[in-house]
Amino acid sequence: MAALAWVMMGLAIWHFAIFIPDRFWGGIVGSLLCAIVGAVIIGLIFSGFSVPGNATISVLNAVEAIPGALLGLAAAYAIGVRRGNPALHL
Amino acid sequence: MTDRRRNLFILLFVAGLLVLSGLVIATKPTVLGLDLKGGVSLVYQAKPTKQAQVTSESVDQTIDIMRKRIDTLGVAEPEIQRTGADQIDVSLPNVTNADQAAAQVGKTAQLYFYDWETNVLGPGCKPDPTNAAVTGGSSAGSGQGALTQYAAVELAASCPKTDTGKETTTGSYYLVNNKTEKVLAGPQETKADLNAEITTKKIAQGADTEIVEVRPGTIVVQAEGPAKGKGSDQYYVLKDSPALSGTDITDPKQSFANGAGGSGAPTVNFSFTDKGVKVWQETTREIAQRGQDNFFGGDARSAFQHFAIVLDGKLISAPYIDFQQNPDGIDGTNGSEISGGFTIKTAQELANLLKTGALPIKLDLISASSVSASLGKQALDQGIIAGLIGFALVSLFLLIVYRLLGLIAIGALGVYAAFLFAIVKLIPITLTLPGIAGLILTIGVAADANIVIFERVKEEVRLGRSIPVAISQGYRKGLSAIIDANVVTFMVAFILFMLATAGVKGFAFTLGVGTLVSFLTAVLLTQAVLGTLARSKAVSSPAMLGTHSTRQRFRWDFMGASKWFFSFSGVILLIGALAVGVNGLNLGIDFTSGTRLVAELPTKATEQQVRDTIAPLGLSKAKIQKLSGNEFKGEAAFQISTDTVEAGQRAEVEAALNKEFGSGSYSFETIGPTFGKTVADSAIIAIIASLIVISAYIALRFEWRYAVPVLVALGHDLLITAGVYALLGLEVTTATVAALLTILGYSLYDTIIVFDRVRENVPRMPRATFSQILNRSMSEVLMRSLATSFCTVLPILALLFFGGETLADFALALVVGVISGTYSSIFIATPVLMHWKEGEGVWRSRRARIAAANGGVVPPYATAAGGAATEVELDEPKKPRGRLTAPEDPERAVSGAEFDEMVRDLHDDPGVVATEDAPIEADVAEEVIVEDAEPVEPPAASSGADAQPEDLVLKDEPAKPATPRRKRNKKHGRR
Repeated sequence: MAALAWVMMGLAIWHFAIFIPDRFWGGIVGSLLCAIVGAVIIGLIFSGFSVPGNATISVLNAVEAIPGALLGLAAAYAIGVRRGNPALHL
Repeated sequence: MTDRRRNLFILLFVAGLLVLSGLVIATKPTVLGLDLKGGVSLVYQAKPTKQAQVTSESVDQTIDIMRKRIDTLGVAEPEIQRTGADQIDVSLPNVTNADQAAAQVGKTAQLYFYDWETNVLGPGCKPDPTNAAVTGGSSAGSGQGALTQYAAVELAASCPKTDTGKETTTGSYYLVNNKTEKVLAGPQETKADLNAEITTKKIAQGADTEIVEVRPGTIVVQAEGPAKGKGSDQYYVLKDSPALSGTDITDPKQSFANGAGGSGAPTVNFSFTDKGVKVWQETTREIAQRGQDNFFGGDARSAFQHFAIVLDGKLISAPYIDFQQNPDGIDGTNGSEISGGFTIKTAQELANLLKTGALPIKLDLISASSVSASLGKQALDQGIIAGLIGFALVSLFLLIVYRLLGLIAIGALGVYAAFLFAIVKLIPITLTLPGIAGLILTIGVAADANIVIFERVKEEVRLGRSIPVAISQGYRKGLSAIIDANVVTFMVAFILFMLATAGVKGFAFTLGVGTLVSFLTAVLLTQAVLGTLARSKAVSSPAMLGTHSTRQRFRWDFMGASKWFFSFSGVILLIGALAVGVNGLNLGIDFTSGTRLVAELPTKATEQQVRDTIAPLGLSKAKIQKLSGNEFKGEAAFQISTDTVEAGQRAEVEAALNKEFGSGSYSFETIGPTFGKTVADSAIIAIIASLIVISAYIALRFEWRYAVPVLVALGHDLLITAGVYALLGLEVTTATVAALLTILGYSLYDTIIVFDRVRENVPRMPRATFSQILNRSMSEVLMRSLATSFCTVLPILALLFFGGETLADFALALVVGVISGTYSSIFIATPVLMHWKEGEGVWRSRRARIAAANGGVVPPYATAAGGAATEVELDEPKKPRGRLTAPEDPERAVSGAEFDEMVRDLHDDPGVVATEDAPIEADVAEEVIVEDAEPVEPPAASSGADAQPEDLVLKDEPAKPATPRRKRNKKHGRR
């Protein structure tokens, strides 16, 4: 169940990345993937590489995905900048 | 065939089908599912036995035996069908006692006869025929000399494995608590089955618990006699070496012990097969002779020896052999009898079980449910009412918005309903409550197809076309979106049907069939009617079509505002994620396993009173919910959800409630962990399979880059729906899974409508940025998208408010999903597409050029000087494609302004540089003949060169030059 919360949180945080000029690696889809993957990985790390079930999930499991999503977005942006992706202002 | 003849043919064809449908509806009965007429539903999972593996043949053989057993119950129209490789669904209409039915239908009924004294094992796993402390002496089998179950299991576990070929099991497993000396779970034939039982019963394992294996060759049987039944803890350990089995007997029937000295008690009489006669004689002779050998004077009965009759691991009886009357054994030619405290009913049941034979494989009951007939009828009535109201709401909407077109659509909907109902009766499709929900939803599908076309017709009228032309163009242009949307809906229904569990299959089937039928009525029929009326006075005025001839279009910067809509979605998802974290999902027993009991009580009661009543029965933690729907009779109705309770405990609950509140009516559903896992797995597979198929279809019909925004939007809708469920604490059931998959289909419907127009506009707007094309497309289809969603929501609202308690959650999930789907199509999928496409070299350079031309700002809509639109008309056959303006000199193929712009385009392209010596052959000019230009090879696709209308035409409109391409001289333009 925590995996659902992590994916939801990753997707939620990704929605706000639209305010940043798009220099993400893989564009908007790359940033989406990185946000979700980041949220899940950090969620897993915080949970000791286990996925809390429906009975054991807590609000912390959802919150701990936020830094993961942000890190994922930052990584996608950094890779994009490193590769010289021009900023896309929309 | 002329259009007129074609229309006439379609009208006559539909009329003929309508007559046939009327006949079918009038003559064929409607097959109702158990949830609509009441009855018992049982789902078994097959397990291998020593005698047989689970194969197609053994399952078929089992089904045959089950059918015979059901025939002995006198059940009309039972349904037994295999689901998957190892599950068997049994539906027994009008049966009220689920426990009795389960006992009769799914009992393995493995019957064995054992020589008692030589097979009862004592300490050290040794038989001790003369030790009454082991055999029970003259009270053999009745409890004397018996062990507790724990002691019996411990003893049996110490016995060695044997392999004589006569063993009836492959061993068994138990969970024991060595501290309390209790058996907590088992017997199960495999460790996995035992673990499943431990999970179901939520048994905590610790240092004191241990899984114990009893190896093949030894069995533990529960004692018969006075101590038999609930609470009995008297067991014997037997060497598993039976003399005869159930296959050695024939013609079993219930009788009475009316012979000499008979008690008149019910018995089961039977005959033996030829082999059985011989073995029976030999076995009883041995038993008699052993009695004779052990008789040393006095009361002969103290020396009588016994044989034991064991049915499915329980001792039925252990009669003695009178060696004085039968010194040479009992002649089996006249058969024999089993007595053992039977009532007439239990004797009849055993006789029937033996008559139909033992099942070759073991059946575990993994799901059982019982619906009372009254509840079923109420559900049916409410489903019909919801359907009628849904139809009326959709009709009203169509009439108000589309007037005459709406009236025609209502007629088509009526024909659609008749066709669909006739198909349901003709096949016949077993109509279940989810099936009715599917039928009601397809009303929305059918109406949506009409809306897509009618909006297109109205658009053509607003563009100034005559009404006949507008109708013709409307159908032609709207067809691709309808086909795409219907194909996707059908594919989702198909996947759902193939992968989902029984309850959802009915929904999927009706949804799929309805989608196909709606295509016939909503497209072909309405087109024929309108085609026939096109030149009549009835449709001479645009007002009759619900439009005006003046051009009106809602213009708004959708893409500019998308940031704020993205943020809104982000906030909703954030709340949803936190809700999942705080509350989790309220998974119903479909997923978690357990028992759900619906009690309709004749007197008023509160949840606390019900809890107080059932708490002493060990159900203090049960979830009790008061039900308020009209379908429940009595003064109060409650849903009691608990961990799995056995039939006996359920009967106790019902008895306690009856005693406290008066005689009530009860329905129940028990789901085992295996079934729950099957449901959860199939749901996940169905969703993933749907997403893959949908992506593949979108990639095929549009472009692979269009599939990604679609997936993002679908994920958005599913997760928002999940968030709403978590936030409101709604119960997630199999119906919710069906709702989620339906949401996939509907969300896609909306997105396809938008993308279809984008696909159409891209080649028409060769001088617009992608965001401008999207804005233009959105402004054109916004009303259409909103109208289809609204029309879909109407029947769902009817389901929500009038469909009864059972469908309320399902309808709520659909309402949330459809609203989210509409929103995501406009404000999520389209902006994601914009971001992705605008990042491509072609669109990026075009955007930069347009921004530079407009002071660094890209206008939301592409307009030429004077505010005119910049699109080209591609569907004018006489107009050369690619032409933007008329040439000043008719002799020239291109105007000066046009040529200048092409040159500017090419100079904007960093990948192609024009030089004096090597002028550039513009891709733009593929259809524009520039005689003096020296052609060069076109730049590579990755060069970032601006695309041309022909390049941007998508797959369903292959870009072919209107004129033959001029053969190139490859030497020209090269150094």
